[in-house]
Amino acid sequence: MSARALAFAAIAAACAISGVAYVTVAALTADGTTSDARPRLVVDARGAAAVAAGSGLLVRAVDYDNPRLNGRLYETALRRDARPRPSGGLACERVHENAAGDGLCLAAERHGFDYEGVIYGPGRRPHTRFSIPGLPDRARVSPDGRYAGFTAFLSGHTYSAGVRSFSTHTAIVDMRAGKPLFSLDQLAVTRGGEPFERADANFWGVAFAGGDRFYATLGSGGDHYLLEARVSTRRARVIGDHIECPSPSPDGHRIAYKRRIGKQDRWRLHVLDLRSGRDVALAERRSIDDQPEWLDADTIVYSDDRNVYAVPADGSGRPHRLVARASSPVALR
Amino acid sequence: MYQAESSGAVLRGGRQRAAGAPRRGARVSRNVVVLGTVSLLTDVSSEMVAAILPIYLVFALGASPLQFGIVDGIYQGVSALVRLASGFVADRWRRHKEVAAVGYGLSAACKAALVAIGGSVAAIGGIVLVDRTGKGIRTAPRDALIALSSAPAALATAFGVHRAMDTAGAMLGPLAAFGLLLLAPARFDAIFVVSLCFAVLGLAVLLLFADGRPRRPDAQPGAGRDGAARPTIREAIALLAEPRFRTLVVAAGVLAIATISDGFVYLGLQRTVGFSLTAFPLLFVGSAAVYMALAIPVGRLADRVGRRLVFVAGYALLLPVYTVLLLPSAGIPGLVLALCALGAYYAATDGVLQAIASALLPDSLRASGLALLVTATSLAKLASSVVFGLVWTLGGLEVAATTFVAALSAALLVATAVLRRSPEAVA
Repeated sequence: MSARALAFAAIAAACAISGVAYVTVAALTADGTTSDARPRLVVDARGAAAVAAGSGLLVRAVDYDNPRLNGRLYETALRRDARPRPSGGLACERVHENAAGDGLCLAAERHGFDYEGVIYGPGRRPHTRFSIPGLPDRARVSPDGRYAGFTAFLSGHTYSAGVRSFSTHTAIVDMRAGKPLFSLDQLAVTRGGEPFERADANFWGVAFAGGDRFYATLGSGGDHYLLEARVSTRRARVIGDHIECPSPSPDGHRIAYKRRIGKQDRWRLHVLDLRSGRDVALAERRSIDDQPEWLDADTIVYSDDRNVYAVPADGSGRPHRLVARASSPVALR
Repeated sequence: MYQAESSGAVLRGGRQRAAGAPRRGARVSRNVVVLGTVSLLTDVSSEMVAAILPIYLVFALGASPLQFGIVDGIYQGVSALVRLASGFVADRWRRHKEVAAVGYGLSAACKAALVAIGGSVAAIGGIVLVDRTGKGIRTAPRDALIALSSAPAALATAFGVHRAMDTAGAMLGPLAAFGLLLLAPARFDAIFVVSLCFAVLGLAVLLLFADGRPRRPDAQPGAGRDGAARPTIREAIALLAEPRFRTLVVAAGVLAIATISDGFVYLGLQRTVGFSLTAFPLLFVGSAAVYMALAIPVGRLADRVGRRLVFVAGYALLLPVYTVLLLPSAGIPGLVLALCALGAYYAATDGVLQAIASALLPDSLRASGLALLVTATSLAKLASSVVFGLVWTLGGLEVAATTFVAALSAALLVATAVLRRSPEAVA
């Protein structure tokens, strides 16, 4: 017994010493940003040459080795010799803004346990914060800056099965009031005039068209429906299926989106023409899990969570890398 | 490392209790406290990783959280098979401690793997899978050891002590992770290292202090040696033909199939009470705290007034929970009532069911029997959540909740009737 107690004491001491030592070193070095902490995001010269001159992008830096830089916002012109410039002090997991510079940044708090939505105005100066209930996923601001929409991943937990499962929470934000207005599961959804109610409904990928009109995705079972909805009435219609993370074109007649391949979590970017019903797959052949953004009337930009790419919106051509080590692109017009 | 000290204190406390004068009510053997300590340390270890894994995957590695969810989904099926197999293997070779140690060891090895290769998303998928397999392996033999170490009159108390310690670990884990991230922001590697330390400590307590061939406090000399022949698979399956055990499996299954899964209950509460989604994690903490506080007193009560009564009463506690889902303006009092009732329901049913079953099962097939029972009830719960989702879809939340109030009432009547006819085991 005493030999066992001794053995346990030795193991406990070894664990305690190594654990405490490791945490101490980690705590002392965690905040000390290394001296070469310069952004590694760069504009890809050939990619920039392939898109229309004069356009610019807002992106967030992707730099997992450097927590201080990861998520910082950068503005860049898309020219061969352009250098991204840091903009404001925000670090975001996802960001979006309108042409007037009213934006929504979804951020992880410093310790990574809570998440918040940060509403900012011109100059990317934050003015209101509200908490969001899970991992930031998508953010979108309406053209007039009156509303925004965001999606977060919730994780659930049950004792009995010990299983964690993910579902989404998507809400419309009142940008003036500085807080969420309602959650999309409060929408009255109809399809062909009939009520369309699903207990397992998940919503994600809000994008505003004009005024208080917006699109979003409703997922239920293995199916994904395109919703068209209004903030004022809180009513939504199912107007299409197999459409996730919609993004209306500047003229409002087309929708760029990601389309699931089979039942897997693999997606191909598509553009749907709402007037003709014509649907084209874009030239990006890799699986992309992003809400696409229109750089201009002919070009879609998106990221693979490492780099930002551009691809023609008509299915022709090929994808070009625009900015390395960046994500969440927003077109600056 | 305050944790090592506090677990030492628990061990000492357990020893004193076992050695000293019997306290009011039933005594709990040292082995149960040792196993509770193992679970506490292991749960601190696994829950601190579980708490940060989604954040780590998504923000530090840039993975899609949906992919992580899929790994979990696939695992559900594997888990049931692993549990049945490990229960039987432990019984057949009478190696409950060794099989449990393999399960705990596997999870500890996974923490080491996280430290070594945790930087790859693909590796983490595999590590999570192996970690949960370890959990599947250890549950049945550990519960069998708890039963084998406890006097029949104190079984529910013993399981209550174990579950209280287990839940304490599950609540301390995320707190520990939070504290570490405060000390060293974004240093997930520090969390993995500390998690490994706790896992190693848990394994060490099991290997060094747990008794693998416990003699029940009341056992006659040589009593544990009956039925020296190794049990066969046929005998394990034949457990279901034994009338009293079969009755219990049926009663527990009928109750489980009339139960709304926690996820739906929380979602329903959110809809009816209308609190902010930010408070969602607090629901889990709230009901777990009640569960932890009540596990021991309710176990004790079960030993005194009858385990079946407490077990059925525990399910009856779900009726007020489901009723809150039907009230349009239950408000915060309704929410608090529902969380307390939910925690008490766990305290009155989880360990108590294992205690009832342990009293019915022969020593030689205890782990197999417990594994069968848990597999049957979790399959029933899986079926019920599919049904609940379907009814919610077709008829709305009110119809679904009403249906389950009716179904649970009927199940309570059925369970009471069948359990009353089958007498409490005399071990």
